[in-house]
Amino acid sequence: MDIRFKQVGFTYQPGTPFQHRALSDINLEIKEGSYTAIVGHTGSGKSTLLQHLNALVKPTEGQVEIGDRVITPETNNKNLKSIRKEVGIVFQFPEAQLFEETVAKDIAFGPKNFGVTDERAQEIVKETLEMVGLDESYMERSPFELSGGQMRRVAIAGVLAMEPSVLVLDEPTAGLDPQGRLEMLEMFDRLHKERGLTVVLVTHMMDDVANYADYVIVLEDGTVVKQGEPRDVFADIQWLKDKHLGVPTATAFSQRLADKGVVFDRLPLTTKELALALKQINAGQAGESQ
Amino acid sequence: MMDKLIFGRYIPGDSLIHNMDPRAKLMTSFYFIGIIFLCNNWQSYLLMFTFTVAVIVLSKVSIKFFIRGVKPLIWLILFTVILQVLFTTGGREYFRFGIIAITELGLMNGAFIFCRFVLIIFMSTLLTLTTPPLALSDAIEYLLRPLKVVRFPAHEVSLMLSIALRFVPTLMDETEKIMNAQRARGVDFGEGNLAQRMKAIVPLLIPLFVSSFNRAEDLAIAMEARGYQGGEGRTKYRVLHWQGRDTLAVLIYALLTVALVYLRY
Repeated sequence: MDIRFKQVGFTYQPGTPFQHRALSDINLEIKEGSYTAIVGHTGSGKSTLLQHLNALVKPTEGQVEIGDRVITPETNNKNLKSIRKEVGIVFQFPEAQLFEETVAKDIAFGPKNFGVTDERAQEIVKETLEMVGLDESYMERSPFELSGGQMRRVAIAGVLAMEPSVLVLDEPTAGLDPQGRLEMLEMFDRLHKERGLTVVLVTHMMDDVANYADYVIVLEDGTVVKQGEPRDVFADIQWLKDKHLGVPTATAFSQRLADKGVVFDRLPLTTKELALALKQINAGQAGESQ
Repeated sequence: MMDKLIFGRYIPGDSLIHNMDPRAKLMTSFYFIGIIFLCNNWQSYLLMFTFTVAVIVLSKVSIKFFIRGVKPLIWLILFTVILQVLFTTGGREYFRFGIIAITELGLMNGAFIFCRFVLIIFMSTLLTLTTPPLALSDAIEYLLRPLKVVRFPAHEVSLMLSIALRFVPTLMDETEKIMNAQRARGVDFGEGNLAQRMKAIVPLLIPLFVSSFNRAEDLAIAMEARGYQGGEGRTKYRVLHWQGRDTLAVLIYALLTVALVYLRY
């Protein structure tokens, strides 16, 4: 399912003294099966943009096409459930959305809202719990007696349980320990690769963008200032620094090597690429000296 | 949802009214509500209107805000006014149907009630628009202080008040966030029959309560860690200053009262 933004603008509380323009003239496309990263400064409109992806808010200008549904400012608020089922959003600190007595009930809440039968819901609960790295013993526990990291996992399982075809993640690893972060990101990557899930990731971690995303959208002051493949977006390091955005660690390190005279064909984005590039350079030098 | 509510908001500004002592503003606003009941003829209402408009002009806040503030209450006002008009009898009679009658006195009473409502809303809106919530709670603490004689916990009440005020916007944000998260999981708020609507509130209320508990615990620990031990022996960072203009405001109110009493009798 493709998601397309056409000249989308959004204003909070239009027509009041507290009017605030959050997005303007957004044109972008999130292709089916892609892994898109959205980066930008705090307050650049990322979260507002996210809410357009499953019609939680309607644009005040332009239109958003979600699959074959078109959302315009005039769209009725009814019958949007089918979109919400297809596009699952994991909000920042999703553990705040847990409310049921048991973990199993909470995970099953989403699917049941979309009309899944009890038996099927039970299966889904087991599957998704396993996906997020928790075992069945958690099913009957109260979500409020879990640790922060486990709560996060349950909340994410609750969204995965709706079996969306597009998964939107708003800083899913904020506040997690390094191990938990890596596990989470690897899980999303696996879902993306094995099930063809479209992933939209909002993050401040440029390393994650370099490691996983195949498309990057840079937002600033509610507009798209750059979009393209990570290689293109990260090509101009100075530009990124000017925009107060980070540079992947590997790229920053390569830049310092390049300043010292190491010649790269192109700046590596990930540690893996960097290691490969250094190996090649090493082999090349070894060849020359012979 | 809460977008339309103007009453209770603060608009930063720099005007004579903004810079007044919050104690003076709070007291005079209450006093205003008191003396408005002295009005009983059109001259007195005209005086009060002139006074209110003058104060609004002084505050440099656009009059639109005030009209917007009245809007959510307009049905309540109209309902009361219409009841007054239909059921008050006296003076010349224009129309009668059973016990319902439109009379001179009824119309006049209706108009007066309308004016009273609008004036009270304008004045209280002005108070909240020009006074930051924390300044208000400082003022309340100060004004409650005499009640200590009867063992009234003035400091505790004002502490709770200022914490509550501080967390109103935070909780509103939180509500919005949880609502969105649950909507994304297929909850329809405000749809279906009454029972369905009530049921849809549960996934919103429980997380809100839980997060409030967590927040309260964190805040209490953070306060203790910073050496908070209760109201005894604390000094104040925000000290209120009573200035000439505040005395002037009180004097103007005294004059206003005299004028109203004169117009009444």
